[in-house]
Amino acid sequence: MSAIYTTDEYGRPFIIVREQDKKSRKTGIEATKAHIMAAKTVSNIVRTSLGPRGLDKILISPDGDITISNDGATIMSQMAIENQIGKLLVELSKSQDEEIGDGTTGIVVLAGALLEQAEELLDRGIHPIRISDGFERACKIAVAHLDKVSDVIPWSKDDTSDLFKCAKTSLGSKIVNKCHDQFAQMAVDAILAVADLERKDVDFELIKMEGKVGGEMADSALVKGVIIDKDFSHPQMPKDIKDAKIAILTCPFEPPKPKTKPKLEITTVKEFEELQKYERDTFENMIKQVKDCGANVVACQWGFDDEANSLLLQHKLPAIRWVGGPEIELLAIATNGRIVPRFEDLSAEKLGAAGTIREVTFGTTNETMIVVEDCANSKAVTVFVRGGNKMIVDEAKRSLHDAMCVVRNLIVDNRVVYGGAAAEISCSIAVDKEADQVSTIEQYAMRSFARALDAIPMTLAENSGLPPIETLSFVKSEQIKQGITSLGVDCMDTGINNMKEQFVFDPLISKRQQYLLATQLVKMILKIDDVIVHKSDDQ
Amino acid sequence: MAGRGPQVPMMQPQVIVLKEGTDTSQGVPQLLSNISACLAVCDTIRTTLGPRGMDKLIVDGQGRVTISNDGATIMKLLDVVQPAARTLVDIARAQDAEVGDGTTSVVLLAGELLKEVREFVEEGVSSQAIIRGVRRAAELAIARIGELAVTVDRADAAEARALLEKCAATSMSSKLIGSQKEFFTRMAVDAVLRLDQEQLDEGMIGIKKVPGGAMQDSLLVDGVAFKKSFSNAGFEQQPKSFDAPRIACLNVELELKAEKDNAEVRVDRVADYQAIVDAEWRIIFDKLDAILATGANVVLSRLPIGDLATQYFADRNVFCAGRVQKDDLDRVCEATGCRVQSTTTDLTAAHLGTCERFEERQIGGQRFNLFRGCPEAKTCTIVLRGGAEQFIDEVERSLHDSIMVVRRAVKSHSVVAGGGAIEMELSRYLRDAARRIEGKQQLIIAAVAKALEVVPRQLCENAGFDTTDFITQLRARHAQDPDRFRWYGVDIEEEAVTDLFAKFVWEPALVKINAIASAAEAACLVLSVDETVSSQKSQDPMPAGRPMPGR
Repeated sequence: MSAIYTTDEYGRPFIIVREQDKKSRKTGIEATKAHIMAAKTVSNIVRTSLGPRGLDKILISPDGDITISNDGATIMSQMAIENQIGKLLVELSKSQDEEIGDGTTGIVVLAGALLEQAEELLDRGIHPIRISDGFERACKIAVAHLDKVSDVIPWSKDDTSDLFKCAKTSLGSKIVNKCHDQFAQMAVDAILAVADLERKDVDFELIKMEGKVGGEMADSALVKGVIIDKDFSHPQMPKDIKDAKIAILTCPFEPPKPKTKPKLEITTVKEFEELQKYERDTFENMIKQVKDCGANVVACQWGFDDEANSLLLQHKLPAIRWVGGPEIELLAIATNGRIVPRFEDLSAEKLGAAGTIREVTFGTTNETMIVVEDCANSKAVTVFVRGGNKMIVDEAKRSLHDAMCVVRNLIVDNRVVYGGAAAEISCSIAVDKEADQVSTIEQYAMRSFARALDAIPMTLAENSGLPPIETLSFVKSEQIKQGITSLGVDCMDTGINNMKEQFVFDPLISKRQQYLLATQLVKMILKIDDVIVHKSDDQ
Repeated sequence: MAGRGPQVPMMQPQVIVLKEGTDTSQGVPQLLSNISACLAVCDTIRTTLGPRGMDKLIVDGQGRVTISNDGATIMKLLDVVQPAARTLVDIARAQDAEVGDGTTSVVLLAGELLKEVREFVEEGVSSQAIIRGVRRAAELAIARIGELAVTVDRADAAEARALLEKCAATSMSSKLIGSQKEFFTRMAVDAVLRLDQEQLDEGMIGIKKVPGGAMQDSLLVDGVAFKKSFSNAGFEQQPKSFDAPRIACLNVELELKAEKDNAEVRVDRVADYQAIVDAEWRIIFDKLDAILATGANVVLSRLPIGDLATQYFADRNVFCAGRVQKDDLDRVCEATGCRVQSTTTDLTAAHLGTCERFEERQIGGQRFNLFRGCPEAKTCTIVLRGGAEQFIDEVERSLHDSIMVVRRAVKSHSVVAGGGAIEMELSRYLRDAARRIEGKQQLIIAAVAKALEVVPRQLCENAGFDTTDFITQLRARHAQDPDRFRWYGVDIEEEAVTDLFAKFVWEPALVKINAIASAAEAACLVLSVDETVSSQKSQDPMPAGRPMPGR
């Protein structure tokens, strides 16, 4: 505490730092160890979610909302971690989530394992920066090795079987593996529908996810079009429209209002009647304009009152009101229509086209949705997820998102490594081998890095109910003996260790990112030797 | 202490000179206590120096976390209140503003100067004499740097670039990005060289942070990049890439809205109603038509672009982005040569800018608008990636330091060796010089010479080397043959005493000159103070309604 609270030669205390009594401070190795402790605790929490036999966590938010998840990033962000280092790990898994979308659990487990190894080295008296230097060197070797063991998987618009397998690997650990094939196919189809294959760009905003509680998970489907969570404005309107021409409007069905505050004073009965007439005329005029351009369905961003509603019904114009902004946009993209801001601007070429528009009712509830299908442009798709309860629907959505990210990554870069921790084991062997050729202290750190990589297959085996040490040593020796780098932990107990035959793939960029990010974060944590925390008043 | 009055005979009433509650202390004790305070602050940042220096994690009152190795940043966040110690904070900040690097060493040096002269203060040497000595020593040292500094030939472009890269690398080695030195030095040098070489305005280097990805995934865009702003419905129907776009930059709100907030229109007849509505639409359509008439196909505005305008543009295959940050827009102008227009009347094709390619692209989890291949590219953007926000923040600070160093080095081409070599050489020089000076000055200058050794000493200490061994070796080398061993310093990589100039551990001479000058100034300032008068913090003014005392 000497730096903050000091007494001078005459024993008088003097204050250097503002409100020093409210600050706590930790320095040196003590600080580093406290950080490692915190990080280990956090990573132990998500550890058991790793792999196809990993278990889920239930998280209850302060408001009582329940989330059940197997996704590392989701669990971490919901945990509301207070500790600073813990927060760093949360951000770590978040950035893996944002960048790659998958492998968020693995990265935290790896970072935790690295720190655990670092602790041992610190106990031996090795300078923290030497440790992180060693880790970095090892990481470089591991990443280079990943490139070497990676395989290119061929895919094309017609042959998506390999993409499908990768999506399956990602979905393996999730709750949806009941309908494994179906969800994997949905993920692949959705991405391929929106992907810009030339620029290798995938815009996730074109994929909408809708969930509805009820029904079975197997009822989930990919709709090549848009689902709008609304119903037709009048119950007597037709529920099924073929060859629809949609007018997409962003103006309300009412007499236009100037934005500048208008004021109309009515003094005589005649004037009042005129106003009424004007209103009616505008309505009729509007409907006429819609009819004239050939539209047979109206989607409106705003509402309209009962009078307009009944007029629409009279003129046999089914209408959907209060369609939200993003949905309007998707609808326009899907149907190749243009969003029209004024009735005057309506014309035939601005209408959107869709094969069918129908209103769907679910189960016994009164909930309905409007499904727009067979659209002119298939660039916008909607994933519709069903499930027994809200938690499952949410988790299914998250899982599907992860799987879609995997497919996206493969479109960007179609190199893969083998899952089931085959890549980790192979990297661990490579790092160990290189480490022996390093003459400085970094050798120790590099070996520790290899040990940390081993933690992934061990955890995987543990979660799958296999003896971890036995499994690891068996696979490792087999890899060296046979020289096949695709041997991994057989989590599903199929009797096959070769992940190539089991079709367990991970995108190369995902693995590469895991190693790099985890190493960088560990370096950052190891580099801190002084923590000054300003406690808030209530503590 | 209740005010301070002159010493007066017992019977007379005490004369109150200062307001009640004013704290004063004076004389040598005060001076010593100030020095202790400075030393205490120094101790905090001591361990951050050098390639094996550690970082500090600071959590402030609002719970914001900063992890940093940068002296100026740490000093600022420490929130020092002791007045003498604050001078150290100020010199760190000044060093940051002036040269951008060496902020830790300047504080360390100032602290060490104070530590070395402290015993003279205790022995009762007049502080004025000490100050004179310190100033003299600083002058000598600075003059010596001038003699020693090696000037690199400007004419040879490759050589000049190598110089810049080496300077940037030295500044970076102590930072989190130290292991990716090569990658980031190239980026820093490229960024600076892209600027207008006359002005070197670092504001023209945009730094964007995108969480996710490894730091190796950071990239330098030879133009402008900024995050996609909020967009209205219809945006996704706009085209997202252009070759040779025509860019219009506006400061106009493109939205259907009331022209004046509190205006009111009185309508006499129902028929007029429609006329007003039409008039309002015409206002916005006139604006949109004017923009379109110039042939622009990328429209940027600082103010919002409403859904109507978005859809209008989407209809006509024009890309638009509203609410673009001011500095981004400025850099777009700088890069593409367009002018920001505050009105759409008189908008002509001459106001438009262009570049080779515009596109919207996914970077990490965000969509970015990229303008590349700009004709007047006096600007560039660095997109930083990293695993956590604090991580990227620290990378940004480190990169900023290097950019500043490079900027400085572009102007002055003289360099010295880092790693404590120059300090060791100055220390030897001052020690020799001191012997030729008579009087108290000799002692003071020798003390300054000793203080300069703090840099190599701390480097060793942070790296876990045997400090005494290294320092004595260095002293011996420098004394044996000042010319041959001139650039010998602590080589962290090799764990030995070697010629660092040959190892390309270079720093701009300016950084060192500035560091020594400011450290000496700060030390002199602290030494010249012999009394602190701090008036008591004014308390809350008397709560209302409370009766005034005495009545």
